[in-house]
Amino acid sequence: MAKTKTSLLAEFTKGLWQENPVLSMLLGLCPTLAVTSSAINGLSMGLAVIFTLVMSSALISLTRNLIPKEVRIPVFIIIIATFVTITDRSMAAYVPDLHKALGAFIPLIVVNCIILGRQEAFASKNNVGRSIIDALGMGIGFTMTLTVLGSIREILGSGMLFGAQVMPDAFAPWLVMILPPGAFITLGLLIGTANWINAKKG
Amino acid sequence: MKKSTNLIIVLTTTAIISGLVLASLDNVTQPIIEAHASEVLKNAVTNVLPGIESYDREIKEGVEFFLGKNLNGTIQNVAFQAVGNGFQSKLKILVGMDLEMKTILAIKVLEQMETPGLGTKIETDPSDKKNPGWFYKQFFGLNLAKEKISYLKNETPNKEKGQIMAITGATISSQAVVDIINDAIIKNRKIFLKQG
Amino acid sequence: MSEQNNPTENSLGRLVLSSSPHQNSNDDVKKIMRGVVLALLPAVVFSVYYFGLRSMLVIMTAIAACLVTEFLLKKLRNKKINEGSAVVTGLLLAMTLPPSIHLGYVVLGSVFAIGIGKEIFGGLGNNIFNPALLGRAFLQASFPVKMTTWTPTKLMVLDAKTFATPLGGFKFGENIIHNFSDYWNGLIMGNIGGCIGETSAAAIALGGFYLIVKRWSDWRIPVSYLLSVFVLGGIFWLINPAQYPDPVFHLFSGGLMLGAFFMATDMVTSPETKLGSWIFGIGCGFFLVLIRLFGGLPEGVMYSILLMNAITPLINRFTQPTVFGEVVK
Repeated sequence: MAKTKTSLLAEFTKGLWQENPVLSMLLGLCPTLAVTSSAINGLSMGLAVIFTLVMSSALISLTRNLIPKEVRIPVFIIIIATFVTITDRSMAAYVPDLHKALGAFIPLIVVNCIILGRQEAFASKNNVGRSIIDALGMGIGFTMTLTVLGSIREILGSGMLFGAQVMPDAFAPWLVMILPPGAFITLGLLIGTANWINAKKG
Repeated sequence: MKKSTNLIIVLTTTAIISGLVLASLDNVTQPIIEAHASEVLKNAVTNVLPGIESYDREIKEGVEFFLGKNLNGTIQNVAFQAVGNGFQSKLKILVGMDLEMKTILAIKVLEQMETPGLGTKIETDPSDKKNPGWFYKQFFGLNLAKEKISYLKNETPNKEKGQIMAITGATISSQAVVDIINDAIIKNRKIFLKQG
Repeated sequence: MSEQNNPTENSLGRLVLSSSPHQNSNDDVKKIMRGVVLALLPAVVFSVYYFGLRSMLVIMTAIAACLVTEFLLKKLRNKKINEGSAVVTGLLLAMTLPPSIHLGYVVLGSVFAIGIGKEIFGGLGNNIFNPALLGRAFLQASFPVKMTTWTPTKLMVLDAKTFATPLGGFKFGENIIHNFSDYWNGLIMGNIGGCIGETSAAAIALGGFYLIVKRWSDWRIPVSYLLSVFVLGGIFWLINPAQYPDPVFHLFSGGLMLGAFFMATDMVTSPETKLGSWIFGIGCGFFLVLIRLFGGLPEGVMYSILLMNAITPLINRFTQPTVFGEVVK
């Protein structure tokens, strides 16, 4: 599969829609469902994943010829965990409120399938440039989905978007949307819509 | 043989580099994180103990008390943490009281993960734009000389009798706050007043 | 399928107990839906009597919103509009709402009930959960305060504008049921705070019996549901009468009657086999008592039925009778 040269642009855009980690591959659903009670939470979770993904992909792609096959998974995990810990500690130090809101889900990026999946499937087989492009595409696709999900839930569930009031005062927030069921319902409808659009396209 | 040595070297090197990176990162971030945590605590204590200049930390029988002092260093009032179970999470509340532990000066919710939009009203009520902290502010100035705190639903509460108004739709969270503070006061009163 | 001899009755009886899809004959579904509406009439009449025309308005809004939603979604999917099940969904949903509820919420709940509760699964016969209850669950989770603001009935002389339900009163220490007359007037006849169609146990039971006599609902479900609530509630009451309410109170308060006769018996979302029906009813009763006595909510009929709806496919699988001639493993 990786033998046929795809253009860099295609490498980038596939993560946005066609192979979108959440909508199409259903990866990383745990943080997707858990932290998206507001747009800002979704966006920052996405940014943390982009950082970890791009950094790990770059490093693993660079060292791919030095890592023996037998221990590649432990090495990948150590590298990923290091970058996740860097993210976690930096957020705790510089954006403590956001860190508190995302809670345990920052450390849990370590076990996010998107990241290990990209290393195994892509970064360990491609050069640095392509790996970074691929990681960026996947990361941005993930971030976009989480932000959209968070926005929908925040608008309906608390009448706000990025913390600013967008709904009229008369609007009574649908509390369920910022509770766990709201995450499942919204994600289900989003995936359904994505499939519907894909089916329409042919 | 040679293969396995190679594996060990790669893994060890990766782990050492990772450890070094994280250790140096920790050197930078740990002080900031700690400073932030103590800043939060300091803000909370000065919040619930009005009019103090500084405070001392004192541990009596395993309970942590914060003694608020005025400019001359005289102890004015006392604060402590009340911890217990809310509707679906652990509640941590800082309670400030007078030295006789008869009147609540102020309280502050330090930690809570109650149902968004309902139980979270113990901290902020977004539907009350003018006074989102109406619920916990009811505890300010409650007179508990004779009675424990109790909550009402449809009547007007009387502060002299230690009454507050429950949150509509979040009776259990309201009740939890009341119970947690009551328990902590009763327990800490004994410990604190024993030595004057 | 033994005791029925009349061929038409037999086919209806089979409809109750056979595997889905149930709508192989549209006439039957239509007829049953009309029957359910008819069976709900006494409760509707009582609710109008107690809560005034306001409750009629809520009912009409819910039915209209359900019909419109179904029409639009069927249009979107190029399917033809079938049976009158949307009317029943709307009516049942309205019965579970407080009389004072804002009509906007009624519409929202109806759209959710039909859209997410039914059509998204492929329409009637394919839904996992009782659509009306799902709509109510959505409203309950979204607007918990509005959904539990009860108004006293028109016959009550009270100063308060809002009013606790008997179950809420029990849960939060303001017991309002004291003596026999409270039981009779309040719980059985329905002169009490509560949802539109749930306050009068007598009116609901009347409609429920009609459905059972007509064999449009499986008697095993209400019987096992009510019985298990009675027994389990009774055990706790015997252990500590001061802390737990008596079993009769359990039976007649809240939405149990409505749930047992009209919600749990929903053909699509309840088990097909006789044994399955017993398991279903007992499971509902178990969860209901658990939620009422130990949960954070005063009432648990809705969640008990939705929980059992979720495991209905499992019950069906495990209670499948052996086909004649099949080798038992």
